Amino acid sequence: MAKITSSSTAEYFAKNLQQVGFSSPFKAVLTTLKEAVDNSLDACEDAGISPKLFVSIKKVGSGSSKNTDLVEIVVDDNGPGLEADDLPKVFGEYLASSKFGRGRCSRGQQGIGISAATTWAQLTNAAGVKVTSKTTRMKKAVQGTVDVDIKGNKGLFKNKTSVDWDRDHGLRVEFRIDGRIQLNGDGGILTYLEGTTLVNPHLSLSYELLEDPPVVVESVSDEIPHVPPSTLPHPHTMKLGEFMTHAALFGKMPLNNFLKKGFSRISDAVIKDMVKKGMPKDLVSKPLTAISEANFKKIYQILQEVELMAPTTRSVLTVGEEGLSKSIQRLGEVDFFSVVTRRPKICDFKPVVVEVAIARFLNRGGGEEKESPVQLLRFANRVPLQFDKGACAITRSVESVNWRSYGLNQQKSSLPTGPYVFAVSVTSPFIKFKNASKETIDGSDELVEEIRRALMQAGQKLSRHIRAESKAADLERKLQHIEKFGPILVEGLVRIVNASKAREQRAEEGLQKLLGRDTDTAEEALKEAEEKLKVLKAKEKELLGDEDAASAEDEESGFPAMKKSTKKVAKKATKKTTKKVAAKTTKKAASPSKKSPARKK
Amino acid sequence: MAKFKVRHSKKDIPQEAKKLCESMLSDLEKAKRPVLHAVKCSLDNSIYDPKVGFLTPGDKVVKTELNVSSVQKMARTVFMLEILLGNLKSGATNTKRELYYVSKGLVRSNPTLKPLDFDDQPESDAIIDFIGDMLEVYREEMNCFANDRGGQTYSQNLVVTETLAEGEQAVVDLSTLGTTPFQPKNKPQQFKVKSKKGKVDFCLVIESEGTANTLVANGMHKRHNCIIIGAQGVPSNGVRGWCKTLQDQLNVPMYFYGDLDAYTLQNIFRTLKAGSAASLIRNSDFSAPEVRFLGVLPEDVKKYDLLCYNVSEKDSSEARSLKKAKDALQNDPFFQDKKNKRLADILRWLVKEKKRCEQQAVFSVDPKDPQILEKIIVEKIKSGSYV
Repeated sequence: MAKITSSSTAEYFAKNLQQVGFSSPFKAVLTTLKEAVDNSLDACEDAGISPKLFVSIKKVGSGSSKNTDLVEIVVDDNGPGLEADDLPKVFGEYLASSKFGRGRCSRGQQGIGISAATTWAQLTNAAGVKVTSKTTRMKKAVQGTVDVDIKGNKGLFKNKTSVDWDRDHGLRVEFRIDGRIQLNGDGGILTYLEGTTLVNPHLSLSYELLEDPPVVVESVSDEIPHVPPSTLPHPHTMKLGEFMTHAALFGKMPLNNFLKKGFSRISDAVIKDMVKKGMPKDLVSKPLTAISEANFKKIYQILQEVELMAPTTRSVLTVGEEGLSKSIQRLGEVDFFSVVTRRPKICDFKPVVVEVAIARFLNRGGGEEKESPVQLLRFANRVPLQFDKGACAITRSVESVNWRSYGLNQQKSSLPTGPYVFAVSVTSPFIKFKNASKETIDGSDELVEEIRRALMQAGQKLSRHIRAESKAADLERKLQHIEKFGPILVEGLVRIVNASKAREQRAEEGLQKLLGRDTDTAEEALKEAEEKLKVLKAKEKELLGDEDAASAEDEESGFPAMKKSTKKVAKKATKKTTKKVAAKTTKKAASPSKKSPARKK
Repeated sequence: MAKFKVRHSKKDIPQEAKKLCESMLSDLEKAKRPVLHAVKCSLDNSIYDPKVGFLTPGDKVVKTELNVSSVQKMARTVFMLEILLGNLKSGATNTKRELYYVSKGLVRSNPTLKPLDFDDQPESDAIIDFIGDMLEVYREEMNCFANDRGGQTYSQNLVVTETLAEGEQAVVDLSTLGTTPFQPKNKPQQFKVKSKKGKVDFCLVIESEGTANTLVANGMHKRHNCIIIGAQGVPSNGVRGWCKTLQDQLNVPMYFYGDLDAYTLQNIFRTLKAGSAASLIRNSDFSAPEVRFLGVLPEDVKKYDLLCYNVSEKDSSEARSLKKAKDALQNDPFFQDKKNKRLADILRWLVKEKKRCEQQAVFSVDPKDPQILEKIIVEKIKSGSYV
């Protein structure tokens, strides 16, 4: 008989790193970056600090394995820092986390990711992670290398030294790993950084990628998101084993007190109801330690039968329409956008908030991308999801919406096409992922429906922009028709009836008059669409905090540039495209990109 | 070139066209919108009077008023009208395809006409049809002729006299042509036809050109005093006009023999007998109202135990055909008229039974008898087994 041995958690993960996002050299780089950034952001939020992050990713040599580079990943933050004793736990020990099972909407949940990154560095480059940390209590920063003791699932802090650091608190991690760098595309590093920027309006980020010039993205919000504390568990979300383990934490407490203090949504009335449904009365005030397993099962079963209020939604947080609206401007020059933050909702007994931002950019997409599917950015608890798009509940929801009714092109049951960016964020303390690497959300019909509703609301707002645009295009088309066909028609008629030059002149003038009237009608339709859009734009400007600009435009009836130009076009039947004018107008309305090629630090 | 006339019409097309253009120009001078009216050529504007025998247009007209959306169509109409008037003046003729290329050539030689350029032939065809419907003239009257598909004719008792453009007459005795068929070309109305001896007993129009050839190869036209014509599917204008000419000039009983399916009844037989909705203004000269449906009839399927195919609604083309048959029963005035009740009954039978039987299925009745089709046809004519 084979010998039964037990392994440490670290051993398991060291052999199965593909399960936590290290399945290819490309993914290894992205996952390492992601884990480090997630930790920095969570730490800053917990400490009430506006995060200022610096990220650098560079090739520093050849990797030890075939077809890989040695990639250096640096993430530097102004967070609270970690005490020297905590550094090996955080970076070198699996399942050592301040967040595990707390039922909060934090990015990290289990305490696996960053230790896995250290393991990958150790396995591929024979050295763990170099860390520099300083808390406000420390006079000097502590620096050293953390390795994972794979056999014992322990972190080892090596080469520990004290160093001077130009800040009160912060943390800097430097990984050197075998990997490959992919900047663009669904699994690209830029896509990750842009996504993170989008859902974290309070984040100031500067980054240097490969040999590209440094980029600084300023924060657009001073508000540091407050991650709400977890709420008491709801009895309907627990299994029998969990229920009993939970009871063990409450010692000798009588059952009725345990039910009321240990769970949400249980009151005396509920307990009475449980008795009515068959729970023996004598159990109500019995200490938990005196209740038999069989009785626990009975109590649990009755508890599942009683009707309870849905769990509270207070434990979820949102980025908010204002934050999203401002943040989206940081991704590039926005042509137009639409944001929706749904009210928290209970799906499968778990509180969930869905937020959607849809934008069309002036400097992204277009041309050949008109026929390509939209860029879909998915987020779970404000972390970009970049792989296995097809299996995700968010993708399923986007595909199930009929985008044609909002003016977008779409093949049946697929992503719509066009130069748009769709960002869908799902926030919940209990997101159900399909795998440990948290790449796809496993969606119930309830969750998919909630995401659909958010998308449809955003679609409705978007369609106002698109309609105004199509009216402008219609006007443009009509103007072109006048120019193209009018003279040819008159000339043809003149030739057939052999008419004089004077008649030809009169007919041409008459034709211009007639078609000018049609243009006026088209202009009216355009104006009407613009009026509707104006209301929406004013709201958007309010969200962006640009109220002065909004009211100034209101006074000038919304779209002065477009109005003036189209009239001019109508009169002279010139070839100026109203679309371009519209683009200019919206360009003016949207705040300029805050990207600049100078590193702030 | 001498002018050929499809019908006796008092219409002076160049004059009518100029009048129309004059009115459009005059409207434009007054900054008034010119409006063009054309007969609406569609089933919902088709009237079937059994006494008339073919589909005629109702009161509906297509009104095209000049605006930014219709300015392209109007400019193209005037452009094509100019080409057609030029042809009428010089006596030149063209097919629609040729007119498409003529217009392309003109655009190429004059860059200011570039916006009028047709992307493909259906675009120029639509404009030619619109001009015909607007002036209420046949395209043939505007020297625009269709190709010569179908109509191969065999007979031992038919003489065709054609008056040529130069005024000479060409006389064709079909009995002298051997196995070569006579084909009526695209201007059948210019023929004078007569029998060589006595009256022709019947004229048989076969849907399949190949089956018509088989009957001739087996000597049916020698054994019977008849005319055999191959329709080659949906009858072209030439075939329709030719049947009309034969019917009018010879007063000969005419029978159609083809598949028993919805497509044959609706698209082939109805077009031959009463014309089509798309050609409402021309049906009087392009249909043979006396033609009878000889088969295949549902009763033949039973009587001769003919092999049938099941029509599957899963097959998109067959499902479409069934749907069209149901629509025809509800909307087509030809099938709705009580005179054609028996034809409508056949359509109902096809919809209900979801079966189709091909004209060649008769060869399964006696596989060893090559003349079986001829025998059955003659028997059916004699016994009055037709609709």
